[in-house]
Amino acid sequence: MADIAKPFGRMLREKRIEKGFSLRKFAELVDLSPTYLSQVEQGKVVKPPTAERVKKIAELLGESADQWIALAGRMPDDLSKIIRKEPEEMPSLLRAAEGLTAEQLRALTNRAKKMKGKDND
Amino acid sequence: MTRRSAKPKPDVPYLPEQHIEQHVAVLLAQFSDARDPITKPPVPIGDIVELHLRLTYEVEDLKALFGHPDVLGAIWFKEKIVRVDRSLDPHENTKMLGRYNFTLAHETGHWQLHRHHYTEDPNQAMLFGGRGKPAFVCRSSQKPPAEWQADCFAGYLLMPRDLVLPAWEEWRGSIDPVCVDELPAVKFRPDENSNQSAALEMFCKPLAAHFEVSAEAMRIRLEKLGLLLREQPNTLF
Repeated sequence: MADIAKPFGRMLREKRIEKGFSLRKFAELVDLSPTYLSQVEQGKVVKPPTAERVKKIAELLGESADQWIALAGRMPDDLSKIIRKEPEEMPSLLRAAEGLTAEQLRALTNRAKKMKGKDND
Repeated sequence: MTRRSAKPKPDVPYLPEQHIEQHVAVLLAQFSDARDPITKPPVPIGDIVELHLRLTYEVEDLKALFGHPDVLGAIWFKEKIVRVDRSLDPHENTKMLGRYNFTLAHETGHWQLHRHHYTEDPNQAMLFGGRGKPAFVCRSSQKPPAEWQADCFAGYLLMPRDLVLPAWEEWRGSIDPVCVDELPAVKFRPDENSNQSAALEMFCKPLAAHFEVSAEAMRIRLEKLGLLLREQPNTLF
């Protein structure tokens, strides 16, 4: 589980070292230059890695892709598509859900799944 | 590779090469005990720096940071930070891999050999990218004793005798040395000594690639080991 209080770059470096990857080795695995990866780790980049790249990073480090994509300031590709499909209702739903506890959000998610299930019946 | 420090540095005690090689042997043994034994080249210098010595490693635009066009690396002892100049990034330029590894190994040499001889200046605490004043700024133009020692350390670290000798034997089919007069002559350099170095470096390029070091670093190491010769050895018969 990622510590969301920490900046993305710092967490990335800590987890990378914890998993036993040197900077150059890890940069090779995710097809980034050591220079760029080092800048990301220092929080010096204007543009963070793409969602797809962060997903690969999270997978290599055994972390949640969704959580790490959010921490990196990116949005998963599928979410962009979902919002584009319902450009008014979906942002409205997200705004309405803002501030709910994690437990309340899980309940809402389950309710949504049930509603989808009924629609599919 | 020649380097020098940018600022006046504290004197470091004289160290014979043998002692430097022993320092390297201890480090490699500790790394092998703590992690994986190194049984074949290349030596995992990144793992040694970050995972074993636990130094923070960063790639930076050091030329801009220090305002010198020939800065290759720097080390901050107190903060335990090693920085390598971005011009050496092998992802951007694969030809730089050897110099990248050598610079990292060179800074490791400063860490292992010199950190106990150096006190950082507290008045410079927030200069140089908010990291304080580095203990050593390593450039490509001159070579005071500390830089020479770090170069020597890097050579032994990236090309330890126990890896070079078997690699040479596997490559050549024996441990017999090779003399420059057995190689194609090189004439494009201004003097005979430089031409000989170039011929030896062209010859040992495949082994250099194997160890992920420059041909120059490989040639220097092989000459030290007596595997590359500039003159045929004198024999009685």
